[in-house]
Amino acid sequence: MEKYKFIDDLTSDVLFEAYGKSLKELFGNSAIALSSIICNIKKVGEEKSLSVELKGDSIEDLMVNWLQEIIALVDTDEMFFSRFDIIEISEDNLKANIYGEPISPEKAGIVVKGVTYYKLKLEKIKDNFKVTISLDI
Amino acid sequence: MKEKIQKINDYEWLLPKTARNGMNVDAKIIANKKILDSIEEDAVQQLTNVACLPGVVEPVIGLPDMHFGYGLPMGAVSAFDSEKGIISAGLCGFDINCGINSIRTNLTVNEVREKLKELVPALFNAIPCGVGSKGKLRLNYNELDSVMTNGVNWAVENGYGTKEDIKKTEENGCMSGADPSKVSDLAKKRGLPQLGTLGAGNHFLEIQKVSDIYDKEYAKKLGIVDKDQVLIMLHCGSRGFGHQIATDYLKIQEKAVKKYNIQLPDRQLACAPVNSKEGQDYYSAMKCAVNYSFTNRLVMTQWIRETFEKVFKKSWEEMNMQTVYGICHNIVKLEKIKGKKYYVHRKGATRAFPDMPVLIAGTMGTASYICKGTELALDKTFGSSCHGSGRAMSRHAALKQFRGEKVSDDLKEKGIVSKASNWKSFAEEAPGCYKDVEEVVDSVHNAGISLKVVRMKPLGVLKG
Repeated sequence: MEKYKFIDDLTSDVLFEAYGKSLKELFGNSAIALSSIICNIKKVGEEKSLSVELKGDSIEDLMVNWLQEIIALVDTDEMFFSRFDIIEISEDNLKANIYGEPISPEKAGIVVKGVTYYKLKLEKIKDNFKVTISLDI
Repeated sequence: MKEKIQKINDYEWLLPKTARNGMNVDAKIIANKKILDSIEEDAVQQLTNVACLPGVVEPVIGLPDMHFGYGLPMGAVSAFDSEKGIISAGLCGFDINCGINSIRTNLTVNEVREKLKELVPALFNAIPCGVGSKGKLRLNYNELDSVMTNGVNWAVENGYGTKEDIKKTEENGCMSGADPSKVSDLAKKRGLPQLGTLGAGNHFLEIQKVSDIYDKEYAKKLGIVDKDQVLIMLHCGSRGFGHQIATDYLKIQEKAVKKYNIQLPDRQLACAPVNSKEGQDYYSAMKCAVNYSFTNRLVMTQWIRETFEKVFKKSWEEMNMQTVYGICHNIVKLEKIKGKKYYVHRKGATRAFPDMPVLIAGTMGTASYICKGTELALDKTFGSSCHGSGRAMSRHAALKQFRGEKVSDDLKEKGIVSKASNWKSFAEEAPGCYKDVEEVVDSVHNAGISLKVVRMKPLGVLKG
């Protein structure tokens, strides 16, 4: 099962779908999709870790907050991230450990300005989860 | 929806409020036929969504650079009644006060061409570009508060730029009423390390030569007197600081939409009544990002001057490196137009008040323009014009179609020296991803909302 897929849809922005057999996997794969835009994720190590704990009004809101948190952490902690371990997740709460290394120009991608609500949808299809996310670039 | 568009004249098109249910006012698009035909159906639909908002004043405007965006198109203007209207974080967008500074020099194209291969990398070292670069300035919270409230005055007091730069910036580089207490700690934390950074995406620094002067008298007022004179254009915004303020207030205003029972055709158009706490708090916080962005551009302007000094071995004053003008693209402003006050929301749009400069960026391989605003712009577009050429292709499609190395080589063949933080930036920002800037500028010129003054062509390009 693929982790995520970019879709050619938005003129100025980026749209992707992420998949997972569980919510943990879905949130982890969504973060990988996002991070692969911000940096060359394959070349980013796991030397430093951060703990993240978040709340949301709904599972979709939690997803937006999760991705938004990663975008903010790139700025505040000046790090690129390559691994996302979701420790706990419920409809409105998430705990995760995320791993990465300090930012560097040679591993840089592009700036993501924000997570938008355009086409935002988190759904369960049979036993799998799928989310559609668009990012403002 | 596009089939319902009616021709007013060759450069103005009407989408009447009868086009769909819920529109309170007409929408209007400024474009020639070729550009109009290329505008996405979804972008036109987005314009009609804005026309449904409470207190919106006729008409909602689409400019020729318009393309599908977050909630409403980039390249759009909407004005709201100063009492009964709304203020919207969604209508301003994520990159608050993304804008352009133009800086002139008295250097000629030949002097600069000789040094381009030294100058472009030197600028790249002096200006932190891209998501992976660290800012050279590290503000503390007190300094950040001062940037938020004092804008470019903070920069000048700290040795970045002069009082002349302040006069040559929209709003004199500082919107009054900015309130740091309305800005979240997270936004401030993101803002501390990023002042004096270019960012990435469509942000750039370009060295240009004047290729055509259409209005000699007005150009002279701007200090532009010769064809082949070299100018500099800097395009960037409020960085993660502004992105976080937008993100925070989109959430706050989404709740306000429910609280005040506002009917929204698209949840991305989060807004609040003008006189509500959620409306005014956003306005005060947005001004902090506006002032941060003005300061960001002036700090980098000074670093550009210092880099030119090192390369050309002359002082920047000797090279007459004065700010031509600095303008905003994404902003909400309470403006008095034709005697009435409106909250004007410009997203991917430039103020075009009579006889004020309008800066329009092309792509890294095509021309850019300086125009001047007109009375007609006050009549037709709430004193606004376009901001650039406008994207025509998605980043995803661009990566499939263009190779960064090839884009850079093509620029080299045209004599343009370029440098980006990575090859992907070149591919995603390839000139072929954008509309034809000549058609876009012809549209605003012929519609009479801003008139051509100077055309510039790129010599050197730095991309984030």
